[in-house]
Amino acid sequence: METPWFAERPVGEVRPGDHGWLAYSGSEERDQVIGTFVREGLRTTEKVVYVTDAPAHRLPGVGPRHGIDVDAYSRAGQLRVISRRDACLDRRGGFEPAMMLDTLGREVDKAFDEGFRAVRLTTDYSWLLKPPGPPDLARMLGCEHRVGDAVSPSTMAMAICQIDRHALRPDELAALRDTHEVLVEVNPEYDDGILKIVRTFEPDGLRLEGELDAARHSVFAEQLAQVSTDRRRVHLDLSRLGFIDLGGLHLMARHATGLPAGEPLVLDHLAPDVENVIEMVGWHRLPGLVRGGRRTSPDPEGIT
Amino acid sequence: MKNDLGRAAAGGLGLMSPPVGTVGDTMITSSPGNVVHTSFTHRLLPYDGADRFLDGALPFLADGLAAGDRVVAVCGTGQEMLLRDALGPADAGVEFQEPRDWYRHPARTLADCLSAADDATGRGSRLRVLGEPAWTSRTPPEVVEWQRIEAVLNVAFRDTGAALMCPYSTSLPAGIVAAARKTHPETVRGGQAVPNPGFVDPWSYCAQCDREPLPAPPPDADELRLDKADLYWLRAYVTEYARQTALPDEDLQRLLVAVTEVVTNAMRHGEPPIVLRMWTEPGTAPALVCEVADEGRWAPGTGYGLIPPRPGSTAFGSRFGLWAVRLLCAAVQIRTGEGGSTVRLRLALPGAAGAGPRTESEGFRALGFQNPPSGVR
Repeated sequence: METPWFAERPVGEVRPGDHGWLAYSGSEERDQVIGTFVREGLRTTEKVVYVTDAPAHRLPGVGPRHGIDVDAYSRAGQLRVISRRDACLDRRGGFEPAMMLDTLGREVDKAFDEGFRAVRLTTDYSWLLKPPGPPDLARMLGCEHRVGDAVSPSTMAMAICQIDRHALRPDELAALRDTHEVLVEVNPEYDDGILKIVRTFEPDGLRLEGELDAARHSVFAEQLAQVSTDRRRVHLDLSRLGFIDLGGLHLMARHATGLPAGEPLVLDHLAPDVENVIEMVGWHRLPGLVRGGRRTSPDPEGIT
Repeated sequence: MKNDLGRAAAGGLGLMSPPVGTVGDTMITSSPGNVVHTSFTHRLLPYDGADRFLDGALPFLADGLAAGDRVVAVCGTGQEMLLRDALGPADAGVEFQEPRDWYRHPARTLADCLSAADDATGRGSRLRVLGEPAWTSRTPPEVVEWQRIEAVLNVAFRDTGAALMCPYSTSLPAGIVAAARKTHPETVRGGQAVPNPGFVDPWSYCAQCDREPLPAPPPDADELRLDKADLYWLRAYVTEYARQTALPDEDLQRLLVAVTEVVTNAMRHGEPPIVLRMWTEPGTAPALVCEVADEGRWAPGTGYGLIPPRPGSTAFGSRFGLWAVRLLCAAVQIRTGEGGSTVRLRLALPGAAGAGPRTESEGFRALGFQNPPSGVR
């Protein structure tokens, strides 16, 4: 498999011209990503256009808990919720890509006329792919290519297409993903340029990137504790961890011994160098840590 | 069943040793006629030929087979042949191991052997090892580290119930035999274990090993003063230095983990200034040497990371790190005192000439043969 050509970006770094893709594993992940996308748009006086049949106050990331007054933003025209029927359904209720394209074009032009410096567009396509109707993947692919063509050259528009990753087979999901240039994920929980910690959702856990040593043990321990609150098995994706010190391994093992009986802390995709050090110390001396999956090819979302 | 087989075979050969009532050796009777030693033993078996070797080694192995122990014999071809001949069919119950595999690395061998002892205990059994560390063809610093292991294992194995017997050829250099008398609580003479009056407390022995100051770093050693340095940059610096040496890529990560650990310790417990020095040493055991020095002095009784943490224990203790550093490096040398503290990490560079167990012909000579006997594999 070739190195993927798409850019991976935390939602906070999505920029005009980005045709983004979010294959979410559940509402928790979707709400974190899309909630951030919506909220950051509203707070930075960009326009947010959301195609959905849900009422505005049910959108991810809004409401009093987040300090977002939905009604005020709606009245001011900064938040626009468009129903599917108005955005992209033909008279018989079928999905009409051309209509979706028209809607996007119209909304972008309008935002420009209204003086917004940027417009954020998002919709969840999962409903199109779920029963009762058969998933019309060819139609979706055609639509997404055209959306990409419309958004990419734009200096104003940015879009995130949401898909429930369980709505499609892995190959279909990969095909649809490949019509996007930007893979969007949650903002990192921590990033100081040396160590980056990113929440992962399927499996639940954290992805560590960079180097972990004593200077960053406490922030790591804090994140580890937070992600371990629910009764779920925690995985650490270490594919991009270039260095971990002995204290870091010790910290993981100590954390694992505090987990419910028999519940291990799973270390996925260990880099060979790091695994070599663990093997030298001995897995049996790090009780509670187990070796998880191995990734043979770069696959940023673990789809294939 | 193995138990019966071992006892029958050993008994048939008349190899059952007389009960050895010795200092520190508790004996309990678990079932009629089946005597089990429950406490740890570490015995020296000096020998000057095949007869004395067998006088001590054979009852040791046979007792183990009779008791259902896990019985391991680490020895060269000549000794293996002698033992197999003497054991007869019972030899199938003994695991023969190559010294070059068993005595690969001081800290790792100690850790692996301790794990094996714990595993045996977990199965309601006992580990019994007959092993002669390969002394010749090691460099003097390597010899010191193996001698240190002989001392420290008296502490590490204390609660395991393992039985260790170390044959020492009297043809070995006098210093090696003399050191062995300090590191073994008991000596075997004519099949009898007797207390060894020369035995020295293991920690005192280690202190003696470290009385000599380390040789001064070469004048052209690379020197870096660490002032609150982010260890990320330190690793980049060490990586750059190591890349200019012949250090294999797979060892670089080990070096980085080891240096990070030692510097982290110095920053936590030591006194500034902390200085990092690196150099390479040519010779028979070429090495990349990385030294971390500070002005502090270690608290007594720290153990210097010599005792492996026990598997399954939830608290590794604060010295887990330093112990692991020993596994990651070819050797770790520590000096601490009035003049500050120094930890020197050595990583082997390619081209090391014959570091390892003695050659077969050396082994035969130790047993009293001038030439390898015929029929040796």
